[in-house]
Amino acid sequence: MTRRSDPLLKVKWEADKLLQDLGINSLPIDPFQIADRLGIALQAMPSSMGGASGMLIHVAGQFGICYPTHVGSDGFKNFSVGHEIGHYRLPGHIEAVLDANGRHVSAAGFHSSNRYELEADHFAAALLMPSRLVGPILKKAGDGLAGVEALATECETSMEAAAIRFAHLCPDPVAVIRSQGVTIDYAFMSNSLRDFDGLDWIRKDSPLPTESGTREFNLDGANVLHGKRISGDSTLQDWFGGPHRQKIIEETVGLGAYGKTLTILTGMQPPDEFQRDDDENDDEDEGLIESWTPRFQR
Amino acid sequence: MSESMGPSEVFQERLRTAREFRELSQGELAQRAGLQASAVSHFETGTRKPSFDNLKRLADALKVSTDYLLGRTSEMEATVASADRLHRHYSGLSAEYQEMADEFVQMLAQRAQQKKDAGGQ
Repeated sequence: MTRRSDPLLKVKWEADKLLQDLGINSLPIDPFQIADRLGIALQAMPSSMGGASGMLIHVAGQFGICYPTHVGSDGFKNFSVGHEIGHYRLPGHIEAVLDANGRHVSAAGFHSSNRYELEADHFAAALLMPSRLVGPILKKAGDGLAGVEALATECETSMEAAAIRFAHLCPDPVAVIRSQGVTIDYAFMSNSLRDFDGLDWIRKDSPLPTESGTREFNLDGANVLHGKRISGDSTLQDWFGGPHRQKIIEETVGLGAYGKTLTILTGMQPPDEFQRDDDENDDEDEGLIESWTPRFQR
Repeated sequence: MSESMGPSEVFQERLRTAREFRELSQGELAQRAGLQASAVSHFETGTRKPSFDNLKRLADALKVSTDYLLGRTSEMEATVASADRLHRHYSGLSAEYQEMADEFVQMLAQRAQQKKDAGGQ
């Protein structure tokens, strides 16, 4: 089994370095205070602007951040400001975010395929949830949705950002999926899940598994809007194809007016263990097939 | 300077020019800007790309404008402040958003002017 290197390690290092430079050693991390200490002015965008996202403005050596308020939660605002601080602090973003007219022209969000937007997202996640400070929270709250919620609460960040950070920090095989309707926006797998052999990686815009609880959950928009949650079983095969039918835990929560749904998959066994279980299951299946095969057909 | 050069490449050249104009060694400039000793050398050779934070620190330490280091003006101490609105899908912004952003730009421009009047860049 080969451990894959994390291409975003340098980005997370930059976030940690900023915290160290500013002597910040406790949670929650306040990105508004960080912006202030960096000399960056802040401007709240009226909620009437709806889903317009944030902006970093540079005027003759003075920097400012406009941040969205339409989602209402402090977690969302904190993440938006953290993202723009990422553009400000990360090497190479000058070139990446300016076109010939000096304007930023890329796309947003953890689901973005733009490398620099993704870097700014991961910078924000590492800034608000530094690994050296969130370890005890995850240890106390445990795996799955409980861990994600504890992270979001203690770090005052969004559930979505907390879930992705959880997937990055968790040593166990876990996956985080964001969906809307019957479609998957994106999926994050922990490093240890990526090491599983024979799994298909979930692609953006692919349909939710027909057997998943999340698909059924999403059929009722009220579940999403009212932030309802469900927990149940599904199988690794349902989500990732491959040969492994082991049962896994599927926890689903609606993200409210945001209109998205978050799914946390946990309870997966490492490949060698579930391979052994699968072999045993295969033996059981063979026994079952044996019992149902009419004698005269042999 | 070639027009096809990217901001980082322009920055390399302008940084060296401004540093030599101020008669500073790479180490001296790094110290003034609060950067690691080797950082200026890396920026000038292009082995490391700057962040906006680096840009601001270096411009302050060199007493030149950030626009000069980005190659937007040939004057070291620029008088005209150009604004970069670093936004996703900028061209698709609503009129309300653009109006708000323009007011914010004006505020930042005032700040820049006040800093200059107070003896900054």
